[in-house]
Amino acid sequence: MSAFAGTGMLLRVALRKDRVRLSVWVGLVVLLAFYCVDAVKAAYPNEGDLAALLGFVQGPAGVAMTGPGYGLDTPTYATVFAGVYALYVYLAVAFMGATAVVRHTRADEESGRSELIGAGAVGRFAPLTAAGVVAMGASLVTGVGIVGATWSYGSAADAWLLGACAASVGIVFAGIAAVAAQLAERARSAMSMASAVIGAAVVVRGVGDIMREHGSWLSWFSPFAWAQQTRPFAEPRWWPLLVPVVVAACLWAASAVLLARRDMGAGLVAQRPGRSHASRWLAGPYSLALRLERGSIIGWSLGVGFSGLLYGSLAASVQESLANLPQNLKTVLLAQDGDLVDAYAATMAFFDALLVACFAIVAVHRLASEEAAGRAEVVLAAAVSRRTWVGASVVAALVGSVVVTLAGGLGLGIAVGASLGDSSRVWPLVLAQAAYLPAVAVVIGVTAALASARPRWVSAAWALVGWGMFAGFFGQLVSLPQAALNASPFHSSTSPGLRSSRSPPLRSWRCWRRARRSWASRW
Amino acid sequence: MTAVIEASGLVKTFGRTRALDGFDLTVQPGEVAAFLGPNGAGKSTTIRILLGLLRAEAGAVTLLGGDPWRDAVALHRRLAYVPGDVTLWPTLTGGEAIDTLGRLRGGLNEARKRELIERFDLDPRKKGRTYSKGNRQKVALIAALAADAELYVMDEPTSGLDPLMEAEFQKVVRELTGEGRTVLLSSHILAEVEKLCDTVTIIRDGVTVQSGRLADLRHLTRSAVTARTRDDAAGIGELAGVHDFASGADGLVTFSLDGDHTADVMAALAARGIVALESAPPSLEAMFLSEYGTAKASK
Repeated sequence: MSAFAGTGMLLRVALRKDRVRLSVWVGLVVLLAFYCVDAVKAAYPNEGDLAALLGFVQGPAGVAMTGPGYGLDTPTYATVFAGVYALYVYLAVAFMGATAVVRHTRADEESGRSELIGAGAVGRFAPLTAAGVVAMGASLVTGVGIVGATWSYGSAADAWLLGACAASVGIVFAGIAAVAAQLAERARSAMSMASAVIGAAVVVRGVGDIMREHGSWLSWFSPFAWAQQTRPFAEPRWWPLLVPVVVAACLWAASAVLLARRDMGAGLVAQRPGRSHASRWLAGPYSLALRLERGSIIGWSLGVGFSGLLYGSLAASVQESLANLPQNLKTVLLAQDGDLVDAYAATMAFFDALLVACFAIVAVHRLASEEAAGRAEVVLAAAVSRRTWVGASVVAALVGSVVVTLAGGLGLGIAVGASLGDSSRVWPLVLAQAAYLPAVAVVIGVTAALASARPRWVSAAWALVGWGMFAGFFGQLVSLPQAALNASPFHSSTSPGLRSSRSPPLRSWRCWRRARRSWASRW
Repeated sequence: MTAVIEASGLVKTFGRTRALDGFDLTVQPGEVAAFLGPNGAGKSTTIRILLGLLRAEAGAVTLLGGDPWRDAVALHRRLAYVPGDVTLWPTLTGGEAIDTLGRLRGGLNEARKRELIERFDLDPRKKGRTYSKGNRQKVALIAALAADAELYVMDEPTSGLDPLMEAEFQKVVRELTGEGRTVLLSSHILAEVEKLCDTVTIIRDGVTVQSGRLADLRHLTRSAVTARTRDDAAGIGELAGVHDFASGADGLVTFSLDGDHTADVMAALAARGIVALESAPPSLEAMFLSEYGTAKASK
């Protein structure tokens, strides 16, 4: 057992380090659950009116964005929460579990703290175990919170099932992050890997659920489906939760095996010697920022492009399903664009735009991490002004966003075009994707302003994407006030008629100016 | 001749900590100025103010004739900097980092860069994250020393280097000053400062406690002499230049000796028949310890 020596101590250190961060995570996720429960009731005071939701959630785009739709034929508050909103609670728990593990494993190792710890009377597996206990504990506590949120639905057994589902998602993705932390040499790459798996899991279950009502074989490759297939508040069953339990155990065993085989600080891929000179191209703050972002741009482009291809390839079955829809649903779905495929593709473009915004935040986040690591100091001690330095990161994020947007738009457009045998579909979809760039620019501006004011505030930018996602998918359903909808930078992009002085390009310009000013005045 | 660095009355506070409290520093062209002080005395804070990374709350500072905060970019083209704590971009190789840093400040001397990589025995093809502390230091040193700068600012430039590399570093610095360039370095390695530097400024708790040419400051230091003589050596204590005289029971005397009076005192000792003599040369260390010591005592 000496390989686990010191686990208890490390656990206390991790909890002490995380007391604010983890409490905020757990608190926000539980709050999200409470809010969703409340928002549905507020928007539809009459439970019978919930049928109006069906038009959205039973269409292909709705299925892709929500779940297999158990119990939605006769919707109640409880089934709407479990079938529509629960996915987003699960998503938040997944990120919570993954970040907690990476933070306490690879991030510590990368910074050299693990070396100091490893030199003490601490077993090889102790840090990994402590990280696992923290992540699982946080997932379980969140699960209990969600039981509280759904208690009002009146079925304790179903509430506990839903809570267990949320915890299971957190635990599985903590395990995935634990494996990623062994493979990648840097915390950033480990987190990117874990995020990519989370994204893939959302897409896989979306495609799987569109392929067949209530989910197909493909859905079962996604941890989110394992949770959703328990059908809480519809026809509850506990056995699908065996899958995450077994998978999590395998993932943790795999991460322990990988850990036992590698040196401290090393990843699984051996280092090869690189260039001895910088290329001629790498010559200033802008090219440096782009060079540092290169790997991330390639990875996100592949990921977003692939998700576009996957969703786009379903265009034909979306069109087919049109024929089978009842007339009243057709009117609901076609009211806006007149073309079901376009409506479906527009929703997917919005989803990809959110992913581009995530890329952009991670990219601008470099401002804060470079400053914390001390690398900003050497750059600013060279002939680079503060404005240029912030500007270089912002430009790199913008250029990267354009590339990732193009990848997503082309993926979606080409797949839709190929699926319908109609090449005229390609460019309109690329343009539809590009229409979100001003919104992404707003996100970049806000992130840069936060990073410039206080590097520690930079994470607050995620709230913008979170709000954008909520307002975009559910804003109309829960009848958010117009002002709340407008607070989402993605909102006016979808409705060109709303562009006014508050349009995204202008707002991003203001944020950008604020960022430059706050950097110049900080010392 | 106008000073390269002229700082007076610098004040900088972080919350309730006064990192600098009326600090003065002057560096003349062509000299190697050392900047000494215990940990946390305000060395790095001063350097960051000189680079315009921090803004002083009070006091005046001129660097290469400009204002380091306002004219940062223009001034940085004329200086090169080695930070105290070197972190490299994990995904860039050492060679790429050197070129990038050089180009960011306006280019570096290719020939000298190649020569320095050779002399410091650095493998430039490794990724930043795989370098040891000493090798990271070499990357930062090469990037700075390969620059054609008027002023080199270095924060503990040899920390983590092995003795061979330290010697190489000293050679390079001498070559630079031979060309009339100015160097400001902070250090804890007193032997290095004694070998390299023309002037010394000692900072403690954010205040200048000593500054001047090293040769002038030597008078503040004395050799520590321990001697045993055949005859009674009591009279030695009365001689000019002898301080802190003490004699033990077995004829052993210890005292500290001003350098200017060495000849007279040695003659007097010889007249009493020297049996054993040990003399520790005047060192910066003595001065350093006495300055630091009083700092501790006063706290």
